[in-house]
Amino acid sequence: MSAAASTAPVLQVEALRAYYKISSFGLDREVRAVDDVTFHVNANEIYGLAGESSCGKTTLIRTIAAAIKPPLRVVGGSVVFNFAGRPVDMQKADDETVAAVRWKHLSYIMQGSMSVLNPVRRVERAFVDFAFRHIGKRKPEFLDIVRAHLQRLDLNPDILAAYPHQLSGGMRQRVAIALATVCRPEFIIADEPTTALDVIVQNSVLAMIRDVQKEIGSSLIFVTHDLAVHANLCHRLGIMYAGRLVEEGPTAEIFKAPKHPYTTHLVASLPRIGNTAPKKGLEGTPPSLAAPPPGCRFHPRCPLAMDICRTQNPPMVEVLPGRRVACFAVTPPGRAA
Amino acid sequence: MRVVLDLFRYNREFAIGVVLLGFVVIFASLSFFSPYPPNDSFVVPPDVPPSWAYPLGTTSRGQDVFWLLTFAIRNTLLFGFAVALLSRILSLVIGLVAGYAGGIVDRILMSLNDTFIVIPLFPILVLFYFVMRDKMSWGLLALAMSCLGWAYDARLIRSIAMSLRTREFTETSIFSGMSMRQILTQEHLPYVMPIVFSTLMNNMNWSIGLEVTLSVLGFTDINTPTIGVLIYWANQHTALVAGVWWWILFPVLLVVIAFVGLFLLAVSMNEHIDPRSRLNRVTG
Amino acid sequence: MAPLLEVADVQRTYALGSILSRHRLRAVDGVSFTMAADRPEIFTVVGESGSGKTTLARMILNMVAPTAGAIRFRGTDLRQIRSGKERLAFMRQVQPIFQNPFEAFNPLKKLDRYLFMTARNIAGLTAVGEIEDATDRALRNVGLSLAEIRGRYPHELSGGQLQRIAIARALISRPALIVADEPVSMVDASLRMSIVNLLRQLRDEMGVSIIYITHDLATAYYISDRIIIMRKGQVVESGEARAVLDNPQHPYSIRLKQAVLSPDAAGSAGRLLAESATAAET
Repeated sequence: MSAAASTAPVLQVEALRAYYKISSFGLDREVRAVDDVTFHVNANEIYGLAGESSCGKTTLIRTIAAAIKPPLRVVGGSVVFNFAGRPVDMQKADDETVAAVRWKHLSYIMQGSMSVLNPVRRVERAFVDFAFRHIGKRKPEFLDIVRAHLQRLDLNPDILAAYPHQLSGGMRQRVAIALATVCRPEFIIADEPTTALDVIVQNSVLAMIRDVQKEIGSSLIFVTHDLAVHANLCHRLGIMYAGRLVEEGPTAEIFKAPKHPYTTHLVASLPRIGNTAPKKGLEGTPPSLAAPPPGCRFHPRCPLAMDICRTQNPPMVEVLPGRRVACFAVTPPGRAA
Repeated sequence: MRVVLDLFRYNREFAIGVVLLGFVVIFASLSFFSPYPPNDSFVVPPDVPPSWAYPLGTTSRGQDVFWLLTFAIRNTLLFGFAVALLSRILSLVIGLVAGYAGGIVDRILMSLNDTFIVIPLFPILVLFYFVMRDKMSWGLLALAMSCLGWAYDARLIRSIAMSLRTREFTETSIFSGMSMRQILTQEHLPYVMPIVFSTLMNNMNWSIGLEVTLSVLGFTDINTPTIGVLIYWANQHTALVAGVWWWILFPVLLVVIAFVGLFLLAVSMNEHIDPRSRLNRVTG
Repeated sequence: MAPLLEVADVQRTYALGSILSRHRLRAVDGVSFTMAADRPEIFTVVGESGSGKTTLARMILNMVAPTAGAIRFRGTDLRQIRSGKERLAFMRQVQPIFQNPFEAFNPLKKLDRYLFMTARNIAGLTAVGEIEDATDRALRNVGLSLAEIRGRYPHELSGGQLQRIAIARALISRPALIVADEPVSMVDASLRMSIVNLLRQLRDEMGVSIIYITHDLATAYYISDRIIIMRKGQVVESGEARAVLDNPQHPYSIRLKQAVLSPDAAGSAGRLLAESATAAET
């Protein structure tokens, strides 16, 4: 299943920092939503991004998509895509380049499909609005392409004539996926696309995402807080905590042998049918990103916390090939250097 | 208070509105220092154009326009405020109760509401004047107008109350044993207060405008000086034909200033209470 | 002795559509079960959206009246509860926990207000000292204390803490039954299990019966004693929780169980997914 053997990564994120800077009523506040995040996504790969609410994962993908607005600002680092050998630095690129890249090379599947489907317009209209200018064909040919695409995804092309409210939630999300993939983009960002769906529907939507990814061979970042979804979909997984990436590696290995204490807890606490062994919750609460604890941001809740964790931030270290962890308990500071 | 200061600094409409309205209010408060009672006539020489002695001139009835105007604008503002306040209370009570209670209560209150929305105001008020005639007073008119002026805003408040009703904290309140009155006044009221403030301005404008119109036509108590009554008397003395333009111009100017001030305040408040334009919390 | 709660063939229909094209939606259609008074248990109602599980919860909380059938709490039909006094007496025995901890408290108000209100109105305490003691005791039961909560606003706390406070509020009057509608679905993963464990602790240590409403079979398996699986307003399967979930009989229950993504599938990337997806299409 490992398709990561391909050449250059499609997305390279380097030491990215994105902060919310708020000054209202004479009070300055800095929320470090994404702090020093480095990772890459290979061609033809599903990269999972896991983390709790307000751990910065939404900010991270917003920054990657260059969809940032004040008060969010990129303070440092870079986001570079590689679209068929043509590098695009999303932070440096002008608006025109970004607009040209969007949807053709880089598209999104979001949680609320209503954000891409206009409730008072037929579904066909959404395809025209988003994809027509990228495909660059005349209208009848364009619609033929859309119909063929829908058919490939096992969707009835007749839904083009429907209004969004006539479709069920799962069907709308499938249409949103079809919409995001009709231009056959190299890169797709999926932000909690199945969170609002029932389990049975969720599975068929996930299967559809995986199938279409396999068919186009694009790369996908899949964001969700639900580790069970990650386990069943993603090739590689990155775990975020309080604005930082704390662990990364192939999904199977992370679930088999988690290294970071936070990941260890998450994996151990997942309830499973057929298993009633007591599972512990984690003490404490996720830190506020406006005033994160010094050193490792996980140390106040960490069972393995040492003195150094309270003062120094553990670096991301490659402990095994393709396996990175940011924890002093895993890589003692002396050895890591 | 911080909000007010902030608005003053960053919102030009608000600043201008405050300055204009402040000017009008200061002018109205000068009435307490007036050397002449408002209803006395021939205390000064009649028909004197604006001069150093009489800055806004005098009327054909021998009144100083400046001092008379201070009384008039005071009464007009008070009238507008009284109407706005009374009708706000009505619309708050009816809107909150209808939205919270729902069902049959809501249906009864809202059919009442619809009735008041479609009633033609002006003929009713004129009719009211003809019924009351000599008993017509400032207070009665204010009462009548507040009974007519609550309907639109009650609907607005009801719609907010309905959405508040479905929020989980309302249910937590119920299961904390709070009574309906407690929930409405303590849990829901804070959410509708901004709207009450902004519609207060609009409603003052509406009632002042209607009062001026009625007075100019003589359908009110013409012995209490208001801006409208002032213009009514000026018309009675054919002031414009007689060339006593200052008797008409200054009242009109003052009421326009008050109008614009209130309008700007309402607009800027509206902008402020729109949650989209307010940045209060940030999530990662 | 009358059972704690008796739900007898309860039905709730809603009229939909306009006057011309009226059709009725049966949100809950003939649900029956009984909870014993002497043996506290966690009774789980599992269902997807539209299964009627939330309507059922609201009927048990006496917020919605059943269209047919009856719900009896300690032998009293909920329909007979009319006066304010009777309502308060009922709320003293039966308390809710809601889904979204961020919505459960008015963001403009302090949190302790709801706790004190409950102590005063529902538990019937009058002295300030008593009210604070009862509040503090309830907060300690959920691993917090009044000192930590006093004067705080909802936005200052995390979802997990807020949900604990919501549970503490429900506990102040020492109720016999708590109806928890999806209490952990909006709580972060690292805090979820501690809330679930807390529910179990309430049953074991305080003798509170809990109706746990959820769509999540895994946590249902973890804490439930008995379970019913609902679909379109009807109960399709019921019984002892482990037995039902280990070996579901009804085709819908089987599908539901197959659809649960297991974290143990990691690495076989998508194999199980494909199976459950095909099961979903049938």
